Amino acid sequence: MFEESKVAFFLAKRSILRGNKGTLSLTILIIGMVFVNLIFLPSIITGVAVLFNQQSIDYSYGNLVIEPKKNQVYITQVSELQRKLERIPGITGVSPRYLTSATISYKGNVVTPVLYAINPSDEQGVLRIATKVSSGSYLADGDTGQIVLGFRLAGNEDEKLDVVPSLGGVSVGRVVDISFNNGVTRQYRVKGIVTSNSFSVDSNAFITKKEYEDVFGIEDMANQVLVRTIETGKENEMRNTLLSFGVQEKIWTWQEKSANFLNQIIGSFNIINFIGTAVSLVIAIVVIFIVIFINTVYRRKQIGILKAIGIDRSIIIKSYLFQALFIFAIGTLMGGVFLLLILQLLAANPIVFPGGPVAPVVDLPLIVRSTMSLFIVSLIAGYVPAWITTREDILSAIRG
Amino acid sequence: MIIGRDLTRIYGMGAVQVRALDGVSVEIQKGDFVGIMGPSGSGKSTLLHMFGLLDRPTSGTIIIDGVDAGTLDERARTQFRLRRLGYVFQDYALVPELTAKENVYLPSMARGMTAQECTLACSEILTLVGLGNRIHHLPGEMSGGEQQRVAIARALVNRPTLLLADEPCANLDSQNSKIILDLFQRLNRDLHQTIVMVSHEEWHKRYFDRIISMKDGVIEEEVNRNEGGELTPSP
Repeated sequence: MFEESKVAFFLAKRSILRGNKGTLSLTILIIGMVFVNLIFLPSIITGVAVLFNQQSIDYSYGNLVIEPKKNQVYITQVSELQRKLERIPGITGVSPRYLTSATISYKGNVVTPVLYAINPSDEQGVLRIATKVSSGSYLADGDTGQIVLGFRLAGNEDEKLDVVPSLGGVSVGRVVDISFNNGVTRQYRVKGIVTSNSFSVDSNAFITKKEYEDVFGIEDMANQVLVRTIETGKENEMRNTLLSFGVQEKIWTWQEKSANFLNQIIGSFNIINFIGTAVSLVIAIVVIFIVIFINTVYRRKQIGILKAIGIDRSIIIKSYLFQALFIFAIGTLMGGVFLLLILQLLAANPIVFPGGPVAPVVDLPLIVRSTMSLFIVSLIAGYVPAWITTREDILSAIRG
Repeated sequence: MIIGRDLTRIYGMGAVQVRALDGVSVEIQKGDFVGIMGPSGSGKSTLLHMFGLLDRPTSGTIIIDGVDAGTLDERARTQFRLRRLGYVFQDYALVPELTAKENVYLPSMARGMTAQECTLACSEILTLVGLGNRIHHLPGEMSGGEQQRVAIARALVNRPTLLLADEPCANLDSQNSKIILDLFQRLNRDLHQTIVMVSHEEWHKRYFDRIISMKDGVIEEEVNRNEGGELTPSP
């Protein structure tokens, strides 16, 4: 077996070194590109997933979301719950908030976004919205009669530029009317506009919790309590910790809250990725197959001679397998170099998605999966044509 | 040592059948230099292919060194060709990407010899065929005569029981043909190498110890060289 492989390797090596360099280089280049294609698109998809995950944590949910018990609208005595949560090790921020829908109007533009009522200082301990103020300033704890708008909600004077129903280009300092669902209508001065690239932030509005409680005549309650933990990825463990500390409300992880949205996006991307991967692998198998097949057909007589002088068929097949594996190895290596260059390029000029700049995520399982699939494809594409050609009887092959 | 009995080879199926060999029986002794001659289509190459285990007879038996070739499976036939037979083709049939040395090296390597043994065997045999200084040249850089000598060296490197040559001078001019035939004669006389060679050139006859003339798939005549050097019909 080893002796056979040695002879096959000897034949393959000489064939590579002294064969047609142009065809070999082109084939290697194609395999390199296929490898890039196998890695690049999934890495972008993973990058998008990472981006959306981080956005969910930073701008929408924190790590955990506590909501009222079944059939209840509010969490009561929320300040006590907040104090309890803040004492639990591993928790770095707790933000109680109200969510409501309200009708906001400005110069004849009427929209109904989600209105978040927050304690700004608490909110800053959980979410990063306060760092994304693009004009004006963020809410302060004592603010009343002031509102912060997402930039999509504030909109543009030219409504063609808007992607969601907007207030038609309201700016900081202007006054908008808000009608709450309890019938109260009040005027609010726009204190700031946030541009976070998170759709849920940029399309909605924020007032203080104090203001909301004044409008609705309630106190020390919340619809949601957002919790930020030190470590991301251990949400389930933290949920159990919260339960053990006597938290009786419903506790969601950020993954559970954003699952539908993210799954839809990733699901769609995965379909594209599957098609891309399948096409790439088909290209790889066809290219290697054709190259080896032409090579073997062209050397049909030589194969017959080799068999005639006593070189076993399996040695000849193996020699073509080695050639295919060489193409795979150098192609993959070259593809890896291309990929590094592309990643460098993207680090300097990132692809900007609606959610923000996406960094491709190239992880080891992805590299192993792509390399293995290309390896298997190369083996098949090298073996089959060599097997077909060497099957011919010696005299027919020699006579050509 | 080589015995062919009632060898028949029929090509084609159905109504159109060609009897390339039609009941040929022949025995070749160790150390013979046998020429198989005859016009095109006489069956001389077919007989050589049978001896070289490149083809199977439709009927009849071939026994080489006591081994009935008909009992060997494909893998065993390949091993037999590698270890006991040497084959020289009309058009040299060298691997173009291998140098002279590597072409010769290949069969000994396939036989499982060590690199040192292979190199030694190659150098010896290439020197024997007069190519000691051309061992690193590719076939494309060599003349037809030189390529054929490399092919002979390749056929001999495993010290075969039987060297088979299928019109080895067909693509060579008379000067190179003479070099090849002289080499065969020297191998036969000095090393007692058994050689069976197919030819249709009349002037090649002077090199053979024994000539089997074929026509229409049967042996028409057999002549042997006597001690006086003359060709006389076999009894």
